[in-house]
Amino acid sequence: MAEAPVVTDPFTQAADRLKTLNKVMTTKAAIAQTPKELVWALNKAKLFRYTPVVPAEKRHPVPLLLVFALMNRPYILDLRPGHSFVEYMVAHGFDVYLLDWGAPGPEDKNLQFDDYTLDYMPRAIRKLKAISGSEEFSLLGWCIGAILTSIYAALRPDDGLRNLILLTAPLDFSNKQGLTFARWVDERYFDLDRVLGVFGNMPGEMIDYGAKALKPVENYVTNYLKLWDNLDDPRVVQAWHAMNTWVTDNVPLAGGAFRQLIVDLYRNDRLMKGELVIRGQKVDLRKIRANLLTVIAEGDHITPSCQSESVMTKVSSKDKELFRVSGGHIGIMAGSGASKHTWPHINNWLTTRSERS
Amino acid sequence: MADQANNQKPFDPMQPWRSMRDAYLDAWAKSMVEMVNSEAYAQATGAMLDAYLTVSAPFREAVEKAMLKTLEQLAMPSRADVISLAERMTHIEMRLDDMDAKLDALGELTASRSAVTLTEAVAASRKSPPGAKKATPRKPAGRSKR
Repeated sequence: MAEAPVVTDPFTQAADRLKTLNKVMTTKAAIAQTPKELVWALNKAKLFRYTPVVPAEKRHPVPLLLVFALMNRPYILDLRPGHSFVEYMVAHGFDVYLLDWGAPGPEDKNLQFDDYTLDYMPRAIRKLKAISGSEEFSLLGWCIGAILTSIYAALRPDDGLRNLILLTAPLDFSNKQGLTFARWVDERYFDLDRVLGVFGNMPGEMIDYGAKALKPVENYVTNYLKLWDNLDDPRVVQAWHAMNTWVTDNVPLAGGAFRQLIVDLYRNDRLMKGELVIRGQKVDLRKIRANLLTVIAEGDHITPSCQSESVMTKVSSKDKELFRVSGGHIGIMAGSGASKHTWPHINNWLTTRSERS
Repeated sequence: MADQANNQKPFDPMQPWRSMRDAYLDAWAKSMVEMVNSEAYAQATGAMLDAYLTVSAPFREAVEKAMLKTLEQLAMPSRADVISLAERMTHIEMRLDDMDAKLDALGELTASRSAVTLTEAVAASRKSPPGAKKATPRKPAGRSKR
């Protein structure tokens, strides 16, 4: 019996494309699939431990804690099977933990960097140490997460931090001309008190608009045209769907932390000047002694390289490396080239520094 | 030859149009990035945000007042009351977390002490001379069987 001919008429093709478009625009992709267990929670924050796949005797003894930004979901680190940094590190023998800050409610509007770095992080790390049985650990901070991990590392240098990885870390705010955000939140134009007085927390949608408005054509036009052009390619569609699911899942930023970000960092560059005060204590980056890897995305328009370079000269770490990788703020860890460039470099760097001392 | 022909992409009549479109988008993107980087843009967005907050303020205040009165009349807690409770819950949760960690530490300490005592007892029994009477475990308190 002859096989039925494959119908490829333009109308059927167009219908299929519209069906795919409707699906990716109206549904959420299956993301964050790597098996994990909730091991600690405080307020909205949760600490997850990813189920190890490498036997205990072959695993690296120093656990790795991932700390992402406050205003986005951390599952960008575990986007989808086969394209997940977490899955990659677990497969390479790391005991991986993820600190998810959760979405702050109105009751959290006064949360500051002080609370995140001195109340939440030390307690999460205490739990991590209890579970892993290791007194030492590695920290990876990405974006605002890198600010928090830097503050933590400077305030608690004797806490057992062996390795510190800073990804696209916005730490230096001295170059006002190079920072579009700094211009937007200048006190002449942006009434911070009024905004926080009305909203309490900084709404996720406003932060998302700010990030997208840095490259409006790419984010509001080209991004969708790219999808339209590739609707017949399932690989592109899947990647786009997963990324869109993450991009559209925004969380507010606690009002207190947002105020510090704008006033202390964007407007006054207090961290680099050594003037940032966290719960009465000055944050001195020279107190950071842990091995340091700073990763800079060369095409980063959110955190330009000038914001991450100078930390290398501030810290006291004897073992430090600056790694530049081509790609954008998110692309270096979640883009198609991440598994070829950024992940292997982090894995190699960390592997040699995660053995028993 | 036939394979080569099959591997070649079919002619796409839209390709030249797409190339033109992409070139135009690139140019547009560059000019927009310059625009959003300007002081004028920062000033304009700041003014728009201010205008939005000013216009929406009376409505927001009216809704808040009405809601507060309604909740009062229904003898229900206000938003501020719930927020205050939630803040207190977080403080309690934090103290519980510390107590939990202390209990864990105490448990570990007790376990390690018992292990040390047991090890010492085993070592002592090994050191005791052969034929010496071994200590018998204490019977649990309670009535003895007659």
